[in-house]
Amino acid sequence: MRDAAGLTSASRAQRQPRGGIGAAINASFRYWSLLPAILIFAALTLYPLLNLMRMSVSTIDFVRGAEVWTFTPLRNLESLASDDVLRPAVVNTVVFVAVSVAFEMVLGVALAIAVAGLPRAKRIVRTLAILPILVPPVAIGSMWKLMYNYDFGIFNQALVAVGLMPVNWLGSTSIALASVIVVDIWHWVPFVFLILFAAVEGIPPDLIEAAHVDGASRWQTTRLVTLPLLRPAIVVAFLFRAILAFKVFDEVFLLTAGGPGTSTELVNLHLYKVFFEQNRLGYGALLSLAVIGAIVAFLLVSRRAALAIGRKS
Amino acid sequence: MIPRNWVVGIVAAATVAFAMSAFAQKAFLDVGKQPDITILIGSTPWYPAYEKVVGLYEQQTGNHIKLDVTPFGNILEKARNAARSGQSPYDLMMLDTQWTIEFYEGGFLSPLTDIDPSFAMPKEVLTYGDSGYWNVQKRWRTANGGKLMAYTPLGNVQLLYYRSDVLKQAAIAPPKTWNDVMAACTKLAKPPSMYGFVARGEKGNGIRYDWQSLMLAEGANVVKDPEAGDYTVTINSPQAKAALDLYINLLKRCGPPNYGSLGQGDVIQLLATGKSALGDVVTAAFAGFEDSNKSAVVGKLETEPLPAGAGGAHGAVIGNWNAVVPKNTSDAQKKAALAYSRWFLTYDAQRAFAEAGGIPNRSDVYTSDLVKNPKYRWMPAYLETMKFARQELGYAEGAQVEQILGLRLNQALIGEMSSAKALNTAAREIEALFKKNDRHTGMLPALAE
Repeated sequence: MRDAAGLTSASRAQRQPRGGIGAAINASFRYWSLLPAILIFAALTLYPLLNLMRMSVSTIDFVRGAEVWTFTPLRNLESLASDDVLRPAVVNTVVFVAVSVAFEMVLGVALAIAVAGLPRAKRIVRTLAILPILVPPVAIGSMWKLMYNYDFGIFNQALVAVGLMPVNWLGSTSIALASVIVVDIWHWVPFVFLILFAAVEGIPPDLIEAAHVDGASRWQTTRLVTLPLLRPAIVVAFLFRAILAFKVFDEVFLLTAGGPGTSTELVNLHLYKVFFEQNRLGYGALLSLAVIGAIVAFLLVSRRAALAIGRKS
Repeated sequence: MIPRNWVVGIVAAATVAFAMSAFAQKAFLDVGKQPDITILIGSTPWYPAYEKVVGLYEQQTGNHIKLDVTPFGNILEKARNAARSGQSPYDLMMLDTQWTIEFYEGGFLSPLTDIDPSFAMPKEVLTYGDSGYWNVQKRWRTANGGKLMAYTPLGNVQLLYYRSDVLKQAAIAPPKTWNDVMAACTKLAKPPSMYGFVARGEKGNGIRYDWQSLMLAEGANVVKDPEAGDYTVTINSPQAKAALDLYINLLKRCGPPNYGSLGQGDVIQLLATGKSALGDVVTAAFAGFEDSNKSAVVGKLETEPLPAGAGGAHGAVIGNWNAVVPKNTSDAQKKAALAYSRWFLTYDAQRAFAEAGGIPNRSDVYTSDLVKNPKYRWMPAYLETMKFARQELGYAEGAQVEQILGLRLNQALIGEMSSAKALNTAAREIEALFKKNDRHTGMLPALAE
């Protein structure tokens, strides 16, 4: 016997799932298959984040070997509002990110284009150029601290040798932040260079040749052909560097520990002191959430800007 | 057939080996066979001396100790993680005296007399301001009603170091007061080849610790009487301001231009290279100044206790380490840690520690024949300093108070604010901190800014 769709009862039985539970499992299998990934995501990301949120509204003390949590949201907010070190730390962080990333982008782009244009020895130059990113940050901090040393550092010895006055690189409030930024630029220009060098190498040579045939000078070719084609890579490098610059810690910690005064105090350094030196876990968590929020906001704005740039190009 | 001279050689070698092993068997104290223990220790200037003494313990007793040598900045976190976990990987932890409050208050440690009621500190061991005791009711480090939680493996205090040759040439007597220091350093300073005086000016622990010696010498305090529960903030007193003004003048007039960022390494480097006539540095630095591989002033630096203030009183802050036993290690491990500690606290072990370059914790080592050896000529100044040196910031809020003081003092030093404003600001911030924690607090009237 056939139904309205023209199927026999035998073929209907063949097409329908065999049992109730089996049918349900089959129907929802694609969702169940996501479960391991969801569980891992929850364990590694959501749980720590939720725990951080819980910490941020609490005061955590250790009494007789046990953790004691007290719900004190206002107390932590009050600490945030009255934190005199946080304000200069935020300003310094913004200056640090803006200046260091700007210099790194300009130098990185210039270096990438220059090295890509080399007729030979590109590999050697590329390898040498990326060496600073291979040096551990602790070694970088120690090395630059020695070079910046007022009495024995190489910079001041060179200045004195040519008859100039030594400079108080890390001890002057007006120079210390700039000195730290210089180290960051030295450390991270190779990173920008590496990303952009690959992008420059990926530009089809016929485009450049066509520009030359059309009579474009080297500068015009760079400005009107190479740079527009590099835009997506520049955006990626910029986002990476900006996020990493926001999170800078080790170099500043080793070079100045935030001093003199608050002249090189950065948000992450302050966060470290609150968490690990002052042992204020609740307030530290609130500060962490604020930092995460700031980075997310920056990413959203940057994404919009990147999309706009992408549309232009 | 074995040649005759071979036999003689083998017999001689066996005799020497037997004699050496017999010597090695002669322990300073018989502690019996103990399980292996692990010690958390910082890679500090005194670590090499400590390592040698641990080697001696292993050689004498046949027991084994694993040392987890950790950079200073990571010790606290390792200790926290160990103490807060189910089972501590360490049986003994060396903690900076400032950190111990957190562990005492948190209940993470086993009182030494709970591990073995017969354990007692030898009477010759220096007390270091009772930093090893904890009175739960008073929330204070005191032997009066407190339990023995720790002992001091190394007790640092600052000493006044001076170049005997430079002072002699300028016909200047070793300074006895801070005003003498000012007069001497002003006369001796010939920058950049020679600075008059160096001490730490860097933000944080450095300036807080070094300045507090002057503060105590001028009769000032951070808090009125914390042991009695009176947390009235007194850091903005006229005496504290006088001490801060003097410290700022000393560093500005006599120190290098980067006085605002001078850390301990810089101060030691300036003294070791002969670029400073006077300096305020820890005792532990002395051994380095006598090492010709590290120092250009071997035999030229002498020490005095830190000078007196205007009223004739001396002041020094103790910066000792405390050896503690975590609560969450097994009883057998705790007993083994205590057995080693008994051995370490003997006169012979402490003498060996001194000979290896450490700072012993027993007064009888300081009055032994070692003092006659020029290598240990710092000992009389150290022992004298221990008579007036004291613990500071020994309350739960100590770490935060240090951060406040470390910043405000540094800001006054580099001229970001006046000394009066810096002390008033610090006083307000410390008072607010105590208020939050429901302490009985208040503050002195603000200084004129």
